[in-house]
Amino acid sequence: MKTSIPEFLLQENRADNSASNLSKSRLSFLDKTLSGVAGILKTMYLQSEAGSEKNLLYRINPLVKVFSFIFFIVAISLATTLHAQLLASAFILFFYLIAGTSYRHIYKKILLLSLVFGLLIFLPASLNVITPGKIIFKICSFGSASHFWIYTIPQTIGITSEGIHIVALLFLRVLNSISLALLFVYSSPFSQIIKGFKVFFVPDTFLMILSLAYKYIFILSKTIEETYFALKSRLVGSIKNSSIRKIIAGRVFFIFQRSRTNYEQTYSAMISRGYSGKIRLHNEKKIKYPDIIFLLIMIAAGLLILFI
Amino acid sequence: MENSIELKNIHYSYFGKIPALNKINITVKKGEMFCIIGQNGSGKSTLLNIINGLIFADKGEFFFEGKLINETALKDKEINTRFRQKIGYIFQNPDIQLFCNSVFDELLFAPLQLNLSEEEATQRAVETLRALGIEHLKDRSVLSLSGGEKKKVAIASVLTMNPEILLVDEPLAGLDPKTQTFFIELLLNLNQAGKTIIFTTHHLDLVDHLQPQVAVLSEEHTVEKTGSASEILNDEEFLISVNLIHEHIHKHGEEVHRHFHSHYVFHKH
Repeated sequence: MKTSIPEFLLQENRADNSASNLSKSRLSFLDKTLSGVAGILKTMYLQSEAGSEKNLLYRINPLVKVFSFIFFIVAISLATTLHAQLLASAFILFFYLIAGTSYRHIYKKILLLSLVFGLLIFLPASLNVITPGKIIFKICSFGSASHFWIYTIPQTIGITSEGIHIVALLFLRVLNSISLALLFVYSSPFSQIIKGFKVFFVPDTFLMILSLAYKYIFILSKTIEETYFALKSRLVGSIKNSSIRKIIAGRVFFIFQRSRTNYEQTYSAMISRGYSGKIRLHNEKKIKYPDIIFLLIMIAAGLLILFI
Repeated sequence: MENSIELKNIHYSYFGKIPALNKINITVKKGEMFCIIGQNGSGKSTLLNIINGLIFADKGEFFFEGKLINETALKDKEINTRFRQKIGYIFQNPDIQLFCNSVFDELLFAPLQLNLSEEEATQRAVETLRALGIEHLKDRSVLSLSGGEKKKVAIASVLTMNPEILLVDEPLAGLDPKTQTFFIELLLNLNQAGKTIIFTTHHLDLVDHLQPQVAVLSEEHTVEKTGSASEILNDEEFLISVNLIHEHIHKHGEEVHRHFHSHYVFHKH
């Protein structure tokens, strides 16, 4: 088999005719978006899959784990005192410490989410306009109180101690709920999370669909990242935004086609191994003593913060 | 020996336009090691898909243990379960074959769908993990495995079915030399244990290693020749005609030269 090599390949590439000096590459916006999305997926995946068998939370039966965590979240939502919420925070932090996850990194995210959804949104509730009470910090004063339909704007607007109590309570509730949810995600492999849904009597077929969707998202993000790297390695110079859009649109179609082929082949693999429309999944191992102890601790902690 | 698989005058085309198989007649006996060789695009994988009842021939008949298998037959739940229980298929690309969350779930999938009890399925899965030396992967996510590990898990996920016939598409594709050796030994052992093995390849060295009965697919998607491994491998002219050996270029010191080259059965420079 003879191969003829084009003449230009026999010449040395002096790279003096490239357009790379025209302006900087315009791929930075893509770079940030794609590597950001891929980074989040990878972090979640690595955190949840790289757990050790020695880790206490990894060894807990998923059904027990889901039930305990849901019970605790309900307790957090019902607890009405700051002491109870602070105790819950301490309890969750303790679990982060024994879960072996990189809690500092996760807590940064938790704090950011809690500040947005737990503090900024509820901040107006600290004002006496919404929560009447004893003003501890005066913001502004008017000549007299104004009345409009069912609303009243008091003469003095300020932050009340009752308002601060409510905002702090809501903030801690959101903080505790988010940290507990993330603790569950980061301390459980995806297979455990899926099996945990059996607590809600979710059918096996639906769980299988969830598993396939998870796998699909993971493979898709990997494909997009690899495609992007391939694109980046070949784009040495400046390129028009319209050209970038065309390339990306073409790649989106390619990825769609590729995922369709993958889906068909995976379906064939399922048929080949006996799938006939109804899925039967393996039932999780039996509940052991450590699971019962974990469940009792969680229930006791939940009851404690409810009645403190 | 009774016939295990019989293909009679099989035709298949994609979308009714692109021919993939043309007048295929193949018989595989029970306990036989059978290989389908041919260059890329000759229809090897399509043929395995037909033997596994994943796609159905446009024309012709496929018999499994003397029973006609077609779309209608496989709609019968009993026939379908029996057929699936007896034939296992290891795909070329393990990525598409593995769809469960953990390795252990992957191994349990087939036995559970084929109505085995939880205990028996678990026992099979544990024994298969041990036999393939992948017990340490039991609770790992399939997405986190290396290429060789994925292949081993894909094999294990089919072996837990205890199939009588094992279909293997390109057994050595994408494997490092150590895993290749492992896989070849495994196929030989399974065959010696009485399993029928049908595999596709375009690697003649694999044919030399396993010494199967061979069917050669041509560029025209027909069976060009059938025979024993040595009959096929010794027919140099024929192998050239179906593009399975070709002129080869390599260096001896500073000298570059070309010749038809093969290390199988004959070794000629």
